[in-house]
Amino acid sequence: MGMMMFQKIKSHFATDDVEVKRNDLYKVGIRRDRLVELIHMLRDEYGFKTLNAITCTDWIEEGHFALTYMFTTLDRKHTFMIQTMVNRENTQIKTFSHEFKQAQIMERDLHEMYGINFIGNENLKELSLENWVHTPPLRREFDTLEFVNNNLTFREGRDDNVDTKAESKRLRVLKKAKKDADKKEAAKKAKEEAEAQKSKEEEVKDGE
Amino acid sequence: MENGFLLEQKTLEGDLNSDTSHKSSVDFLMNWFRKRSIFVLAYGTGCGAIEMPPTFTSRYDAERLGIRGAATPRQADVIIVSGYCSYKTLRRIIRTYEQMSNPKYILALGSCTVNGGMYWDSYNTIKKLEDYLPVDMYVNGCMPRPESILEGFIALQKEIGEGKASSWQKYEENYEFYRKNQEAVLGEKVEPSYAADWYLYDGGL
Repeated sequence: MGMMMFQKIKSHFATDDVEVKRNDLYKVGIRRDRLVELIHMLRDEYGFKTLNAITCTDWIEEGHFALTYMFTTLDRKHTFMIQTMVNRENTQIKTFSHEFKQAQIMERDLHEMYGINFIGNENLKELSLENWVHTPPLRREFDTLEFVNNNLTFREGRDDNVDTKAESKRLRVLKKAKKDADKKEAAKKAKEEAEAQKSKEEEVKDGE
Repeated sequence: MENGFLLEQKTLEGDLNSDTSHKSSVDFLMNWFRKRSIFVLAYGTGCGAIEMPPTFTSRYDAERLGIRGAATPRQADVIIVSGYCSYKTLRRIIRTYEQMSNPKYILALGSCTVNGGMYWDSYNTIKKLEDYLPVDMYVNGCMPRPESILEGFIALQKEIGEGKASSWQKYEENYEFYRKNQEAVLGEKVEPSYAADWYLYDGGL
């Protein structure tokens, strides 16, 4: 878990994308065809034996998914994130369900939510959806609001079916304007009071 | 002068015993039995289920009003749809509801069952429960506290006492309407596979 490991990864896998995020959290970006090799090396030589999670990020502008495999050591003190890019369309990637049993259900979930095909995984049936025929719901081209408007009916009177960002911005501007007006008024009042006090004092002086 | 628990009990039950709209004394008696022995199915469908244990246990003690739990749908009178209702849950609720014997009532908790609540733009949560199942009483709030749930129950008991709560008849009369709405979101096969099928044969875990 030191500089040696990073140097070995850098030289062996010809990547510069090695990052120490925290003193117990590391990240490496790797090409897809070297993924298995790297994971085997980390598992066998450096003790990253537990697969904690497989996460997916949808980079729709770049046209790829970022798959991140998170591994920890057995004493749970060090975490390694291994990130690889896969194509968004007709995504195919080899399964890890034979080396890591827990990968089976993680991959099933990713298949359901993003439509990624894990070759070699025996059971990629739907996990939490049932009879889903539309675009996988967590892909970014899936427009949730449009889907809801097409498929479900809202109760009458529910008119906050609007852009919440614009609405909150409008409310913020209103609030700020009110605050400014209050401030101005308070300043004006204070000024008036001060003037009144002054004139009073002058009157007293004149009286003397 | 009453105070504390007795006052609360009196306030809650205030107009429960004063219904006069019954047709005959047999009707009155039947409705009185029904409203004073409500068996609630022990079934939580969303986050609102967390408010049900305090309602039925010692602090709020719903049993003093004749409301208590039932183990299976066939023995239950009331099903509480407690909170957001996803497609997957809706299938189970429909099956459970159809297994219950008449008379049966639905109490819907939380803003999610009223209009979608905070899940108003979610792709797998229904927005209006009464499109799919007949609802007797809505209790709004996110989440409703046990006090609100008790008030909802009292309102339901009052309707039962007056013979007005008849949603199960409505469901039978307008079955086609409900079935059409159910099929619109759930597809042709509305009823879910049994858990054993799902676990052993249908892909399983």
